[in-house]
Amino acid sequence: MDHNATSATNTGSAVTGGHIHPPPDTFIKKYVFSLDHKVIAVQYFITGGLFFILAGLLAELMRAQLSGPNNHVLSVATYNQAYSVHGSAMVWLVIIPLLTGGFGNLVMPLQIGARDVAFPWLNMISFWLFPPAGILLFASFLYGAPEAGWTEYPPITLQMPFGTSMWCLAIFLIGISATITGLNFLVTIVKMRAPGMTYTRMPLFVWATATTAFLSMIATANLSAALAGLFIARTFHVPFYDVAKGGAPVLWQHVFWFYSHPAVYIMILPAFGLVSEIIPTFVRRPIFGYKMIAYSSAAIGLLSFMVWAHHMFTSGLEHWEQFLFMILTMTIAVPTGIKVFSWVATLWGGKIRLDSPLLFVLGFLSTFTFGGFTGILLASVPVDIHEHASYFVVAHLHYVLFGGSVFGIFAGMYYWWPKMTGRLLDERLAKWHFWLMFISFNATFLPMHWIGLLGMPRRVATYDPVYASTNLFVSISAFVLGASMLLFLYNALRSARKGEVAGPNPWGARTLEWMIPSPAPYYNFKDIPIVLSGPYDYGKPLPYANISQELATVPMH
Amino acid sequence: MRQERSGPLLDAGFWRAVIVMGIISAVLMYVVVVFPITRFLPEASSVSVPIDKLFRFCWFFGVPILVYVNGMMIYFAIRYRHRPDDPMDAVGSQIHDNRALEAAWTIGPAVLMVALAVFSYFIIPMYYPTGQAAASAVTMEAIGHKWYFEFRYPGLKQSVMNVMHLPVGVPVTLDITSAEATDDVLTGAVLHSFWVPEFRLKQDMIPGMVVPIHFTPTEVGTYRIICSEFCGQGHSHMWGSVVVDSKPDFDRWYAAQQHAAAAPAAAINLAGGDAAAGQTLFNAKCTVCHNAAPFAQRKVGPGLAGLFNDPAHPNLVNGQKATPQNVAGILQHGAHGTMGVMPDMQANGLTPSDIANLVAFLKTLH
Amino acid sequence: MATHVYVPSDAEYEEVRGQRLLGFLFFLISDCVIFGDFIFSYLYLRNASPVWPPPGIERPYLYLAAVNSIVLFGSGATMHYAMEGMRHARLRQFVWFTVATIVLGSMFLGGQAYEYTHLHDTWSGSTFGASFFTLTGLHGFHVFIGVIFLITVLIQTLRGTYTQQRHFGLTAATLYWHFVDVIWVALFFLFYIY
Ligand code: HEA
Ligand code: HEA
Ligand code: HEC
Ligand code: CUA
Ligand SMILES: [Cu+2]
Repeated sequence: MDHNATSATNTGSAVTGGHIHPPPDTFIKKYVFSLDHKVIAVQYFITGGLFFILAGLLAELMRAQLSGPNNHVLSVATYNQAYSVHGSAMVWLVIIPLLTGGFGNLVMPLQIGARDVAFPWLNMISFWLFPPAGILLFASFLYGAPEAGWTEYPPITLQMPFGTSMWCLAIFLIGISATITGLNFLVTIVKMRAPGMTYTRMPLFVWATATTAFLSMIATANLSAALAGLFIARTFHVPFYDVAKGGAPVLWQHVFWFYSHPAVYIMILPAFGLVSEIIPTFVRRPIFGYKMIAYSSAAIGLLSFMVWAHHMFTSGLEHWEQFLFMILTMTIAVPTGIKVFSWVATLWGGKIRLDSPLLFVLGFLSTFTFGGFTGILLASVPVDIHEHASYFVVAHLHYVLFGGSVFGIFAGMYYWWPKMTGRLLDERLAKWHFWLMFISFNATFLPMHWIGLLGMPRRVATYDPVYASTNLFVSISAFVLGASMLLFLYNALRSARKGEVAGPNPWGARTLEWMIPSPAPYYNFKDIPIVLSGPYDYGKPLPYANISQELATVPMH
Repeated sequence: MRQERSGPLLDAGFWRAVIVMGIISAVLMYVVVVFPITRFLPEASSVSVPIDKLFRFCWFFGVPILVYVNGMMIYFAIRYRHRPDDPMDAVGSQIHDNRALEAAWTIGPAVLMVALAVFSYFIIPMYYPTGQAAASAVTMEAIGHKWYFEFRYPGLKQSVMNVMHLPVGVPVTLDITSAEATDDVLTGAVLHSFWVPEFRLKQDMIPGMVVPIHFTPTEVGTYRIICSEFCGQGHSHMWGSVVVDSKPDFDRWYAAQQHAAAAPAAAINLAGGDAAAGQTLFNAKCTVCHNAAPFAQRKVGPGLAGLFNDPAHPNLVNGQKATPQNVAGILQHGAHGTMGVMPDMQANGLTPSDIANLVAFLKTLH
Repeated sequence: MATHVYVPSDAEYEEVRGQRLLGFLFFLISDCVIFGDFIFSYLYLRNASPVWPPPGIERPYLYLAAVNSIVLFGSGATMHYAMEGMRHARLRQFVWFTVATIVLGSMFLGGQAYEYTHLHDTWSGSTFGASFFTLTGLHGFHVFIGVIFLITVLIQTLRGTYTQQRHFGLTAATLYWHFVDVIWVALFFLFYIY
């Protein structure tokens, strides 16, 4: 059992743990320019949450416009701007910051038994690049916001007003921020694991975060380059995409998707990770197929670099390219399937407590699997030829992004809320939130598949009246979906005032973050713990040594 | 631990659940096979049939996967829920993994994906003019403009705008591209996409690139052409249609086109224009490019208020005097000047009486 | 050192150094990706054009670039000897070789400036110019940052910040300099020869 504890010095170390920095003393150092990963996580949550509301409200405006054909709620231009900023904000200002910046920061260092990330100062910089980026993006409405979608395909983007340059700049900042975070997390995970925590003893969320960090580091660097390219093409007429001078519009699609496909896994892998944490906790049994889940994360990460052109099946690729990218894309179903099946198998023979985090996870499993399946429909070139750029794609992307990432985010929120705040959320409200959201989500996005297949293109402010009734139904469901978020908002505010005190380990989980008080003290661990085996052996004694002092009330020093 | 594996987990309840889900899957798979797709979206070209088959095949194997993933999840969540009489610290089965099971769910999807890829592989060449498929009776061009489709037939001097005619049963190759690039930011070429849902065909129209696609229309009828790549203000309205005619009908249409090219266009009779009808048309077809505001308030083209009596602009963009008849001429023939291209009546889908109505409406703008 | 500053033990320093080194390597990898993006663009545009360089465009002058390359690789060598000096605690060797590196780096920048001002093609003129000026400009910017970096570590060394055992800043500067050299090999090949 503990034979690895001593030979562990090369997989992690307690040395840096020896020294604890003094706690910050001023308000600014504590809450604004904080170096503490937990505070930074909360900063990400609050900022990202605000952008979620803004981007969501844009979506509601879009749905109001689309509730009937030939509506004039928004002008055509404003509608175009609305979905472009909605898509960009949801991807770059909501999902990525919440999953990596939020949960990655909050949970990963605790789970590996570290006192902080490797470069706290860089961590702070990463965060502080984020609000300006968001403000730039939303301020672009004042200067003619981008209209060509979150993908901003040239040449039309070369013809747009200044707002599109602001978009470039905003996403560039986010790109730098995500690259730095990725680098920081990867060093943290490689170098700062507690003694005894070998790679195969790492919690699965850490595996997911490591893969995500790797993707952020590589793919997002490429995004920054691509955006710089678009920016100079717009500003200095550098003819990368200008056909008149020999440029190629399709070039942008390549460099953009070389980032943006890995990015969709940046947006889902952390959610996979937290699903893998929540399931064993509430099912009260070891996760099924730990190694396969861990390695499949890595496999997905590597494969994700090789499939980008599946977004370009109608962009005039060579046939062999189409075939190659099709088969590589389909390959991803295999590691993803391994995860889905392993999660379901973990439920088998458990002692399942259907608390809110698990409910959201089950919702995730159901909707994500469906979204993944429609992804397979899109991956087949002939089928995609019909479906591309229709509402079918819009439906797919919401099933994976909302049904996957957002359900994952809420699951994680309900799960780690006590660790973050020290208080519990109200279970009854949480269950209402779940059911309302789950039902209205499906009512909103399921019909989109149908009208997409029948011929409704995406990115239009009006449509053929034959789709009117379906669209009205979708719009009404979307309003309910938006309203369901209010339940969470209320629950969160309520918990701050009268939430039940949670205690260190309200769910009886076994990963390291639950071994210390809630909220975690600024130094995380008084003594760096020693890890003796993997974290999911429910029913066995805890696999940690050196943690007896953590919950003692005696102050340190 | 080994003995636990085949123990209580594989009890009668489990097998019952498996069978129930099997029945549900079978029913749904049957629905997938017989689902009348054509009732909702006709299969009007040679490639739509195999593409729909492929689509059905995906759902055929997808349905049981979805049923079992969701079904097992629900079944386990209920069957193995923590009951009030269970001890607080009760834990579940101690199984960590199972080689055979994991191998099965790795290999299963892999095999399905290979099958799907192979089927797709055989369908891809069907809509690209490779090899013998290139032996098309007609090779023509489809060009995307802001915001209409232009079609060029071999042997026709003028282009056909927005409404394209094809003879049924004749293989066609369409060379698809977008309007020539210019440097001008307002008129510069953009991406469009040529999508005919009933044909199950879509190809982006890319400036500087010509991509041929190949198909045979198989059913007489009128189908929508939809622009499905964002191309600016007019994208939401960029619709055309393709009329698949019987061979004699097509020949008649084609002859009429050749004839029209020879004869000069007749001037339009403006008497009896209905301003109210004109306003509706204006909102539907013109507001993407024109404001109902003074000349200087330009969108793509100039603002059109006060068109007939604007002292600052006594002449129209084509240099003629701003009389109703000359404005009608612009609507009829289009204009091509410094601001860009004003599409002609074909491209805007206007009839002579539409033009009369529009002119009547334009007169009311001040 | 002032007493209130925490001085890490040797073991702690080693640990932190390991983290920083890995972090810096990761930074170089993502920097590589940035160059990779534009190199991909260059190859893509080249592939899309029937003749290369595009008609009417001349390649920049090979011999000037060759001389410039020698200057840059020379600076790689001097950088190496500077580091050797630090490793063996030969401060004079370190200082003079670093100064040589800085001078050679600046000469390279001067050569590039000369080349830029004597070319007919422009940034917005052709796809060749687009890639050429973007990539060499990006590279030149890296050299410029490298020179600043070196001047900084030189000053730091003279003020006694670095010791034979603890000089991560220098290691980073060296790695960075060699990295910029290697990128140049790729660019030289792409723009002047291939
Ligand atoms: C994670 C990503 C994410 C999320 C969560 C969403 C959420 C939603 N999306 Fe979005 N969407 C995208 C990512 C996302 N979307 C992307 C990437 C695109 C492509 C863009 C492009 O084409 O370039 C897109 C495009 C897109 C379109 C297609 C536009 C077009 O092509 O023309 C539509 C149309 O209906 C839509 C609708 C919605 C709706 C109704 C929601 C709702 O679920 C939102 C609900 C959330 C809220 C409302 C916020 C919470 C609000 C409160 C707490 C306040 C209470 C509010 C009310 C009572 C109204 N989205
Ligand atoms: C979280 C984000 C996310 C995720 C995880 C995915 C996952 C996948 N996506 Fe999706 N995708 C998007 C976000 C995402 N996508 C977005 C935002 C767009 C639109 C971009 C835009 O244009 O605006 C898009 C568009 C998109 C396209 C382009 C469509 C088009 O524009 O024409 C394609 C085509 O191949 C595709 C495929 C896939 C595939 C194969 C997967 C796979 O990874 C899915 C794998 C999962 C499963 C298959 C389910 C679980 C597996 C099993 C239960 C095993 C058994 C299953 C089988 C044998 C099938 N996606
Ligand atoms: C694709 C964009 C577009 C659409 C759609 C469009 N126009 Fe135009 N229109 C233009 C442009 C561009 C010009 C200026 C052409 C030039 O510079 O010569 C113009 C010019 C005109 C003029 C001449 C104005 C003047 O002051 O000389 C009139 C009249 C006009 N359009 C009416 C209409 C009407 C009526 C419709 C709807 C049926 C319409 N246009 C649809 C782009 C468009
Ligand atoms: Cu043309 Cu969209
Ligand atoms: Cu993708």
